[in-house]
Amino acid sequence: MSDQKSKEPKGYSRREFVTGVGGLGFGAMLGGLLGSSILLPDKVLALPASEGYILVDTKKCSGCSSCMLACSLVHHGETNLSTSRIQVVNNPFTPYPGGVEQDQCRQCPYPACVDACPTGANHVDTANGNVRTIDAAKCIGCERCIAACPFEPARAVWNAEEKHAQKCDLCADAPFWNEEGGPKGKQACVSICPMHAISFSAEIPQQSGNAGYRVNLRKNDVTWKTLGFPDGDDGDYTYQPGAKAIGG
Amino acid sequence: MARRLLGGVLLILALALSIAFAIRSASSVGFPASPAGARGNPLLFDSAFWLVWAAPFAALLAAGLTRRKDSAIEGDRVLRHDDTAILQHWGHGVATVILLITGFALGSVGLPRFVSGMQPAAVALNVHFVGVILFVFATVYYAANTYFSGRLREHLPANVGEAFQGVIAHYRAVLGGGKFPREGKYFASEHLTYPLAVGASAVVLVTGLVKVLAHSANLPSGLMLVVRYGHDVAAILLGVFLVAHAIAGALVPWSWPLLGSMFTGYVSADYAKHHHQAWYEDLGGVESDDEKRKTA
Repeated sequence: MSDQKSKEPKGYSRREFVTGVGGLGFGAMLGGLLGSSILLPDKVLALPASEGYILVDTKKCSGCSSCMLACSLVHHGETNLSTSRIQVVNNPFTPYPGGVEQDQCRQCPYPACVDACPTGANHVDTANGNVRTIDAAKCIGCERCIAACPFEPARAVWNAEEKHAQKCDLCADAPFWNEEGGPKGKQACVSICPMHAISFSAEIPQQSGNAGYRVNLRKNDVTWKTLGFPDGDDGDYTYQPGAKAIGG
Repeated sequence: MARRLLGGVLLILALALSIAFAIRSASSVGFPASPAGARGNPLLFDSAFWLVWAAPFAALLAAGLTRRKDSAIEGDRVLRHDDTAILQHWGHGVATVILLITGFALGSVGLPRFVSGMQPAAVALNVHFVGVILFVFATVYYAANTYFSGRLREHLPANVGEAFQGVIAHYRAVLGGGKFPREGKYFASEHLTYPLAVGASAVVLVTGLVKVLAHSANLPSGLMLVVRYGHDVAAILLGVFLVAHAIAGALVPWSWPLLGSMFTGYVSADYAKHHHQAWYEDLGGVESDDEKRKTA
């Protein structure tokens, strides 16, 4: 009888089972952490470059704000300068065209806004030409992306009506427009600009500090030449490949 | 008592050091727009997310090793809460306060954000992380050892209808209209609000874990939208419960003996006899005068 008893398998109570699960799980976590810190290399943030960039020639801009109205319309279904992702700023104390400033997202090779986002809402959309864009559903409204943008004013903006951050996505997600957007498609601001002051390029343009890309969209504009408007910077042409020739 | 005091001081010190570390980490978070991709120190939710997953296992281990001490009459006082109950109560409570303050600072559904800029948002997120670790540990620890010790039934109402009647009778007596009903260890109102507290804590915990998982995995936008609203609404409910609990359990003078028991573990036998008659008698206490008159 006693031999039979000693041969019976020892049962485990629920407490012992859960204690075992807890101990194993905690040990596994610590082991995984130790292993990964020794075996795995340091993480490097490497993001693919965007396949599209908005180019703006402020010397052609008339300050009509059509681009802002078009941007808000195609993204939010209503014209609203406050919800536009491209901003035109006019300085009334500086003679035209020196006082016109266009602040558009530069689709930075190293996007500080993407890096700053704690939830992954601001991300690189690899399905849409690596455009740097914000998923509003994941945005928690911390505005770190806006603070992280190295340019003044920040190119990621706060949508005070819908309570989330937003930025230029090259019209990849423009639900109120029946055109295909994104780096492979059209952009509303480029399409609407009556002065042809906004262009699109698939190559990374030459940077020009905080002012933007070095762009001259006047030189190749036949209308501009016909009207006799100046088309260079003090006679130095800054022709940039990729700027569309209008009236060619 | 000295042992409990020393343990409490050490735990508070550990918490304070954790928060100080979280704040210090946040103040070195910088994002220079460098092509080299210098990230500065990432948020704790990114660099130490493994702690969030380790906390529930540590809690299960701790709960499995914990041995509870039942309520008992000890001379002129009654043991109401053992060391485990005190630890999990204050652990959960302090964590909830930290989470609510930092969470609402970051903005919630229907409520504005109180922090702006990289550093303040990073501070709020990192301190929120410390609260998350403590909350996850305390909640899982509480759930596990409450289950093991069979104490769930002492919190839940045996009969919801009777519990409602008990609440009405209790507050009628407070206003001078009638006798106080016979109460168990917990008042009828506590029985009724317990499911709210448990439910809100559970929703906050589960949705919070999904949000932490989103740091490692690319989760669907629709899911994250539901999770975000669920987390925010449950947090607001938890905040409402916390305020009501603090008022009813700590601020009003007639609850001060109960507040004291959450530090010492004991209430006086006299208090138990008069305010928790049924509980006192279940522990083997002397019959109340009412019962003596009934049987005489």
